[in-house]
Amino acid sequence: CPRPQLFPPYTDSKYRVDIGIRQYSSFVCRKKNRPQVPFPELLLCCSVSELACHISGCSGTFSTLEDYEHHYNTLHRHVCCSCRRSLPSARLLDIHIQEWHDPLFTILAQRQDMYQCLVEGCGLKFSTSKHRKEHLIRIHKYPPDFRFDRGKKEKGAQELKRQQPKDDMAMDVVQDVCDSEGTCDLMCNVSCSDQLEPGESMETQVLKDKGDGLPSSASTEDPSTDAQHRTALKPQYSYRVPSTVCFGHGSVRGFRGRRGRRK
Amino acid sequence: MWRVKEVGHKAGRHGGTLEQLRLKRRQQEKSLRQARRDRQLVSKRLLHVENEDDSEVSMDAASEVEDVVGLLHKLHQSGPDKEVNLRAMSKALRDPSTQLTFIKQENSIHLLVGLLTGSDARCRLLALQCLHELSHSPHTSVSLTCLPASSYLLTYLSGQSTRFTELCLYTLGNLCPDGDAVTEKLLAQGIIPALANCMESQRHNLAVVEAAAFTLSQLLQTRTAAQNIIPTVLASRLPSLLLSVLTPEPEFGPAPAIECAWCLHYLTSSTKDNRELLTGGALQQCSSLLGTLGGAVTAGKRDEGLELLLCPLLRCVGNLLCCCPVEELSSQVGGASFMVTLCAIIHTYLHTRPSLAREAAWVLNNATAHCSQICSALLSLNLVPALINLLLFSEGINVMILRTLANVAHKNKESSVQLVEHGLLAALCTTLKMADQEMVTLSLEVLFLLVDGSSKIAKEFVRQGGLALLEVIQFNSEREMRERASYLLHQHFVSYDQ
Repeated sequence: CPRPQLFPPYTDSKYRVDIGIRQYSSFVCRKKNRPQVPFPELLLCCSVSELACHISGCSGTFSTLEDYEHHYNTLHRHVCCSCRRSLPSARLLDIHIQEWHDPLFTILAQRQDMYQCLVEGCGLKFSTSKHRKEHLIRIHKYPPDFRFDRGKKEKGAQELKRQQPKDDMAMDVVQDVCDSEGTCDLMCNVSCSDQLEPGESMETQVLKDKGDGLPSSASTEDPSTDAQHRTALKPQYSYRVPSTVCFGHGSVRGFRGRRGRRK
Repeated sequence: MWRVKEVGHKAGRHGGTLEQLRLKRRQQEKSLRQARRDRQLVSKRLLHVENEDDSEVSMDAASEVEDVVGLLHKLHQSGPDKEVNLRAMSKALRDPSTQLTFIKQENSIHLLVGLLTGSDARCRLLALQCLHELSHSPHTSVSLTCLPASSYLLTYLSGQSTRFTELCLYTLGNLCPDGDAVTEKLLAQGIIPALANCMESQRHNLAVVEAAAFTLSQLLQTRTAAQNIIPTVLASRLPSLLLSVLTPEPEFGPAPAIECAWCLHYLTSSTKDNRELLTGGALQQCSSLLGTLGGAVTAGKRDEGLELLLCPLLRCVGNLLCCCPVEELSSQVGGASFMVTLCAIIHTYLHTRPSLAREAAWVLNNATAHCSQICSALLSLNLVPALINLLLFSEGINVMILRTLANVAHKNKESSVQLVEHGLLAALCTTLKMADQEMVTLSLEVLFLLVDGSSKIAKEFVRQGGLALLEVIQFNSEREMRERASYLLHQHFVSYDQ
């Protein structure tokens, strides 16, 4: 039997976006024209008690609370506000924010060892991410392609060469986040200035394909968000809060200026 | 495992044709033989998939093999049915022969690791389930294929999805017995801090706590644990975390407490002086927990979970008592209820689980060895008569009990008098006739303790006809027994010679 439409699909993105932020806990949102998760049992389920991810723009649907929580914990929990990368733990998120989005870090790193070893309890710090990676491989026997230690410049082109074109597992986490069905369009503005670097053709390519006019929309927001980033000497609590939580009208995080949606 | 909601154990899987069952049993037997050869009982756990239709028809081996290759092919192509295929794969991988086929395929593990770290949450879980099945295999050639995923499994321990974290933990735990290379790698990747953080941040999630304690216990049982692992564990927050979980939650069941107790047992039995654990209050907590379990023990119903909790607890207490400085004993050991529970354990499990009864008697012996307060407590709580009755039983229990009574007699004269009043002499007249040499030798020593300096007791022994027994023992083949009997006769009973 066809799934009952509990709420009509919203076509006006702006309206939907506002509702999505404020009524975070009770709103069921679905992506327009997006095929549902192709899991046969779910399609047969007409029950009203089916769960869906409340993160606006995310199409995940689940038949059990456990599934939903796992989805949320995996994809929406430790997400970097700036670049939408999903990290597996609060600690790795902290490290990521510090190393990728904190300008002060770059400055300090020129004078002292700032790159922390990823293994908890090790405590060592290194002058470059390359040194840290060598340490991880040599001392902690990490795989050389550990997915949660991708350098800012090393991904993208390299991986394209190595892997087959449609090999899902070859793509970087960010790309997966962009690509896959369970993904969430994070509400934060992408701070593109952080990412438009030579080695990252793949990512910006993706951004261009999937979002219309994002770079231009981001630019209108840049002054305020950049200011926010620059003044952040260490990761603030707000970076880890799911973006759909609204801190009031004045909150910069939002959809203002965001044009269109991802497919 | 012994929780209200059941978790499957390897032997508990149902379904499958007769041939499959035979195959499984053969493999189990083979792995057990291998394990005994390694002098290590390998214990692996398999987490059941919940909400699954177990009544599905299992396919025959050949088509499953084909399937796995086909599924792999589809997954490599990364089509839209990723999740469905992965789910089918995780089911197929329950079969040992399918596992063998799988690991022989090129890039199969690489694929799983990729999915494990990908962006699809459900696929991560399914890929993890596949790895979990592989880790459970008794063949190291199969289980070790999971090792490349270890850095990710450890990273994910700080996550919040209960089932996902559980699976990571049990998979890691299953890998631990598979060789030194595994332990080396896991240690290098920081498994101990990761476990400590996991247990601490998830301490209200008892399923995760149970899994973490299981993994720790696997780690603590490895060959090189004493040198490489235990010192680090003792220096971490883990001992206090383990102690904090010891009291069983009534709703969840004793499983987390059981796992933690076993961890503590491995720690106490490998360390010489157990100073850190003693300072951390381990003896106090374990003994007082034992005290609170007395009620459940005397209630008498067969409860495997309770027995599994009592065993490591008793061993911990017994070992810690050996290391505890004498002056701290009486403050560390929980009071009356502790003694009462020990005796209750001995009586309750005497016939059903004699080993448990013997270990409780051993603990009693250790408790009375150096602490006169505990000895007095035994008497004042009127626990002695029942103990004396136990002297007739074998299985090593009577030796331990007699040692305990010797400890009590040794304390002071007043105790000896009370022991005699409770009928110890009469019991000795029986034990002196036993075939067990250790028992007879010990009885002679106890007799000495009783009659030494007390002519009254000596007279009583004679009155009960004990002299004849001593005379007979003088001709025993064992020198120790002959010497003791002669000494007693000539030093303490000389005036009664007839």
